[in-house]
Amino acid sequence: MDSNNDSEKTAAVWLARRVGEGWTDADESSFNEWLQASTRNRVAFIRVNAAWQEAGRLKALGAGLPSGTVPGTGEWQLTPFFDAASTAAAASDASPVRPTADASGSGQSAPAARRSRAPRWQAMAACALLSVLTIGWFLWPAGPSYHTPVGGVARVPIADGSNVTLNTDSRIRIVLSDTERHVDIERGEAFFEVAKDATRPFVVSAGNKRVIAVGTKFSVRREGDDVHVVVTEGRVRVEDNRAASAPPTQLAAGNVATASPAGVLVQQKPLPEAEEYLSWRSGYLVFRDRALAEAVTEFNRYNTRQLVIGDPSLATLRIGGNFRATNVDGFARLLEQGYPVRIERRDDVLSIEPEAH
Amino acid sequence: MDDSLDTWFAREILVHEESLVRYLARSWPKPDEVHDLRQDIYVRVYESALRARPAAPKAFLFTTARNLMTDRVRRGRIVSIEATGDIDALNLLVDEASPERRTGARQELQRMAHAFDSLPPKCREVVWLRRVEELSTRDTADRMGVNHGTIEKHLARGMELLANFLFGGMQGRSAPTKPPEDESKQREYEHGQQ
Repeated sequence: MDSNNDSEKTAAVWLARRVGEGWTDADESSFNEWLQASTRNRVAFIRVNAAWQEAGRLKALGAGLPSGTVPGTGEWQLTPFFDAASTAAAASDASPVRPTADASGSGQSAPAARRSRAPRWQAMAACALLSVLTIGWFLWPAGPSYHTPVGGVARVPIADGSNVTLNTDSRIRIVLSDTERHVDIERGEAFFEVAKDATRPFVVSAGNKRVIAVGTKFSVRREGDDVHVVVTEGRVRVEDNRAASAPPTQLAAGNVATASPAGVLVQQKPLPEAEEYLSWRSGYLVFRDRALAEAVTEFNRYNTRQLVIGDPSLATLRIGGNFRATNVDGFARLLEQGYPVRIERRDDVLSIEPEAH
Repeated sequence: MDDSLDTWFAREILVHEESLVRYLARSWPKPDEVHDLRQDIYVRVYESALRARPAAPKAFLFTTARNLMTDRVRRGRIVSIEATGDIDALNLLVDEASPERRTGARQELQRMAHAFDSLPPKCREVVWLRRVEELSTRDTADRMGVNHGTIEKHLARGMELLANFLFGGMQGRSAPTKPPEDESKQREYEHGQQ
């Protein structure tokens, strides 16, 4: 049972067996042996067991549902426990970087507000419908939009089982129909983990480009007229809305592509290197022998305090390392320590200047 | 075997996991080590509480975290300007850790609902049928048309993730402790059951 060294995984396996039928005295004694083998095991079990106890609260949410019905994702707002306002409160409670607000309020609370006015029988009937239809109904016509502030990263689960991770200062809109799953990147960058569904292609549009996938992982970033695509798993197809005659470009895992009005430039990178482009998902920027000018541009996406290169001779300095995206001061300090530069700090600007001689 | 200590640990320590993980993610330059770091910190706190429970559990947790990181840096398991630089700056960050206690049962319930919604569909269904509807493993297996072992696997995976989401919050969800490799494993594992 310990073939996997992760105590927390093993603890969950024990829990799942222990709460089931057919648990014998022999099981109990080998379980105790495991529990006492290390504090790490013990603590891991306390933790997963606490989650199991807590999960009992879900019973309050199941009240009123016909037995055997598992409520659809996000349908909790249908129950009398939640109203739109408290859903928004919970969203901001859950995390400081939770996607928030269009003019109408949070992307999630807007449909919730519509839902909470629906009579209860309608709510119950909706639970029984195919989730596809349900979602179509709730999100129609425009679909929810999500955005992140500068420096924010947020993960948004989509009802089809896919996930979107939004990078800093980004805005997307999601529309699901029974023929297509559509995400419009209005601004910024997002990483997609697409659930396989051959009947409904997953289409990301960014300006005039469309990136189409069936089940794969990739990111799309919109920067002016350019669209950057990084694929880490599977394949995607890039199309141009205006040039219907232009052949679509196929991208595979490890491809890093820039689609501009002139065409598509594709670079093939080793997968770990392609994944470095996506390190923002954990809040880090990874640079490998990059020009200072590029690094500065990257940092500035994540911070309202902006780095400026005060002298063109510094733009080509090569730098490397892992940095927290929002720790612009830390980055500036390291530059001062490691390079012949000094930082001039004024208001919201950190200017990188050559060291005085 | 001290059940009251276990309860204390869940109530006073685990509730701070979201702040703790955020703190670690911010302070420690190797995201893939945060998961391991957190477990080591729990071990130290638990073992110390066996001798005497700290009067201020949250402060004790964060002090332990800082000490452990400092030890690791000193032992040279990691040599990095970023790490030392950040740890120096960290004394200030501790108190800034977010207010974690939500105000009341309704918000607790919402948090649970959000966590539950984040589970992969199969795991979600199994957790619901086993925990809420209290179906036996066998009945759940019959209903879902899979075997007994598959239900246990989904339940184990579901509870592991639920604990992460519940205690780790969004940090648990997007944490680098679950690298893509892990997700592809999960896919294979779901694949294998068709």
